[in-house]
Amino acid sequence: MAGSVPAAEPVIDVRGITKNFGETTALKHVSLTVARGEIVVLLGLSGSGKSTLLRHLDGLDRPDSGTVTVLGTAVSSLRGRPLRALRGQVGFVFQQFELVGSLTVLENVLTGALFRVRGPRLGLWGYRRDLKQAARGHLDRVGLLAQAYQRADTLSGGQQQRVGIARALMQNPRILLADEPVASLDPESSAQVMALIREIAIDSGLTVVCSLHQVDLALSWGDRIVGLRHGEVVLDTATQGLSKQNVMEIYGRVTTSTGELDAIETELGTVEPGEPDEQGELDLATFSSARDNRR
Amino acid sequence: MTLTLERPRADQAHAVTPAPQPRARPEKIAAGLTLVALVTASVLSLISVDISLPQIAASWSNATRFFDRVGVISFPAPGELLYLTALTVGLVLLGTLFAAFFSVPLAWLAATNTAPSRGWMAFARFLGVLIRAVPDVVLAMVFVLMFSLGTLPGILAIGIHSIGMISKMFADAIEQIDEGPRLAIRAAGGTPVQEFFSGVLPQVLPSWVATVLHRNDINLRGSVILGYVGVAGLGLEMSYAFKSLNYSLGLGIALVIFALCVVMEIVSSAVRTVMLGLAPTRQGIGDRLLRRLGVTGLKADASHRPWTYARLRNAVWGLLFVLIVIGSVWICEIKWGDFLTVWSYLPETAAKFWPPSFGSYDASVMLAAMGETIAIALAATILTIVASIVIGSLAARNVAPSKRVRAGFRLVLVTIRGIPEIILAIVLIVVTGLGTQAGTIALAIGGIGLLGKLLADSLEEVRSGPEQALAAVGATRLQVYAGATAPQGMKALIGHSFYMLDTNIRAATILGLVGGGGVGYYLLNAGQGSRYDLVTTIVLMILVTVVAVEGLAMWMRRVFR
Repeated sequence: MAGSVPAAEPVIDVRGITKNFGETTALKHVSLTVARGEIVVLLGLSGSGKSTLLRHLDGLDRPDSGTVTVLGTAVSSLRGRPLRALRGQVGFVFQQFELVGSLTVLENVLTGALFRVRGPRLGLWGYRRDLKQAARGHLDRVGLLAQAYQRADTLSGGQQQRVGIARALMQNPRILLADEPVASLDPESSAQVMALIREIAIDSGLTVVCSLHQVDLALSWGDRIVGLRHGEVVLDTATQGLSKQNVMEIYGRVTTSTGELDAIETELGTVEPGEPDEQGELDLATFSSARDNRR
Repeated sequence: MTLTLERPRADQAHAVTPAPQPRARPEKIAAGLTLVALVTASVLSLISVDISLPQIAASWSNATRFFDRVGVISFPAPGELLYLTALTVGLVLLGTLFAAFFSVPLAWLAATNTAPSRGWMAFARFLGVLIRAVPDVVLAMVFVLMFSLGTLPGILAIGIHSIGMISKMFADAIEQIDEGPRLAIRAAGGTPVQEFFSGVLPQVLPSWVATVLHRNDINLRGSVILGYVGVAGLGLEMSYAFKSLNYSLGLGIALVIFALCVVMEIVSSAVRTVMLGLAPTRQGIGDRLLRRLGVTGLKADASHRPWTYARLRNAVWGLLFVLIVIGSVWICEIKWGDFLTVWSYLPETAAKFWPPSFGSYDASVMLAAMGETIAIALAATILTIVASIVIGSLAARNVAPSKRVRAGFRLVLVTIRGIPEIILAIVLIVVTGLGTQAGTIALAIGGIGLLGKLLADSLEEVRSGPEQALAAVGATRLQVYAGATAPQGMKALIGHSFYMLDTNIRAATILGLVGGGGVGYYLLNAGQGSRYDLVTTIVLMILVTVVAVEGLAMWMRRVFR
């Protein structure tokens, strides 16, 4: 069991982990410390190692070398019951929600309490009354109490992700991990879900590590951005007080090539496609206004 | 709009390289040659079984003479008939449920995504194949020796034999689940058992129920033959009737069994529809009725699960199911004490079956009989394939010239599926007086129901693009079929045909028990003559053949995937 962590001690402490999947290296000497209550964004393109890093924090993957310490416990050496006890304290929100579609919303939320009960559960009657009450409370928190007895697959994507959040809350977690929580959602639901996660995190003093691939969303949402590229940490900065020059640097660091920057320019509509342009000479004023328009 | 950094790279300039010549893998050539050899063997079998038009014409006169002699068909007294029907249904249901229960752990071990290790997976799969290879009749013969006469030998024979197929289909369903919910439960600190009950089971349940219902139908048809080795129920009464040359009663019971199979098929398809039905709309008749009665759907406080129509329906079905199971246990009058006493008989019984021997027969006689069984299976399979290509194609939406034609041929397929092939064989053998030929024809006809349906479904699933492309260049309906539909459905046909052969080998061994020729005749004789060492020999021969065909089928499916 993880003991109580003094405020000064980091809740997440990753030291020099490397992870290979066959020939490909997913993480290369990655280190990361997260203090209690921090809201951290892992920023990077797909394949940069964000998901793998998150999976390491929950003990779903084991590093080839290096150590992962979460809530004062060395995750990489845990197995069986102690590992499950740690996972119980860490909520995980998935890109594809990962609900059981044929079960009701309430049953899906209750699966978040499985580590607190002994043995398997089938249907609603297997859970204690107080757990069901708590689950309804969490559903109310995410605004879906009216849908409690609907099948999960009858909900929209944004609603399903909110159920996913309620399921994570059901664990009474101390840390919330989110792997691209809005990558499968439309812009409006994305904004709702991201706002909800931040609101809950601040209300309950949760430590949050959330992976994203949208720079602008990361900048406006997180307290701190950790950039990953090809499995290496290339950036670690607080989002407050960033100058426009810094923002451009972030784009430069997390993207792979100048080609990607050109793509951003084209998307922003500031540069005619095909017009020769040097890296970094993007019109920042236009970028900012475009960013504001999107809000 | 959200700015995204993920963008596909622009394509590089195309480099024109000559297309590589496709090379057939040696394995594919070997598989092709095997296929040709099998087709040749099937045609030769067809000739050796001697199915010809004059034969069939001659048997027709036998049939008319038979019906002149039998006169009217008679039935058992209504009360007895009702009891026998309930007994048969109950026995089959309990056997199937027994199998379903024990299939769960085996499927868990056998599915690639849940198996604890490769060793366990291989073990569970091998066990499944082995169990499937022993016909339930053989198991029943053994259990009749060990348990008191009654229903228990039948329940156990059906139960154990069915584990083979049910566990395989259960495992297939587990392999097709979405892994995400399971991962989510693991991430929340769930144990492997919790992962199964909360992440896997809800996903596979509809498919599992469909499998169990399907197997229950198969078992009901198969239960007839169990009567021939002494298992209580309609099958036993029918065998008594035929043995005492009371043909009119025998045919009457056969008719009842046929009707029972059709009713069961309809009931299980109704249950399947309910179980696999779409998500409730809350607009159905039941919901409106509940609303009118003042039962509100969703309560504002959401503290109790509302009694929606769907929930009410599930509760009623569940209660009905429990009542049926209790009724089955009651009517079967299971002698539970047998489970205690059986262990003392076990060594004695086992000793009777070992060591295997050919008894008073020559090894060559036995091998010839096994050969005849294989020939029957091959001949029946090739007849089935030819007929199914025609009927199955015409029953496919994208091939049939009109909706009415498709509906007509689908009806033909459903009707054929309703006929238990063993009943068909018994009736054909009794009526025409032929042995091997009648058995082969019965198997061939029974197979059409299954293969024709599988083929029609596969043809309907082919991509429609190539068909439209051919139609667009002005091809006729037949040209579209030959040029686009049939080539795409070819792989499915090969796969299904091997499944058919697999089924037919098993079915052909059983045919002999009712006079259809082959090794089954010797099996029944050996059993009734208490020559159990010979039974072991025959079972081993069947086992080797079935496992060999199964291996061949698996290899073919892999190569022609």
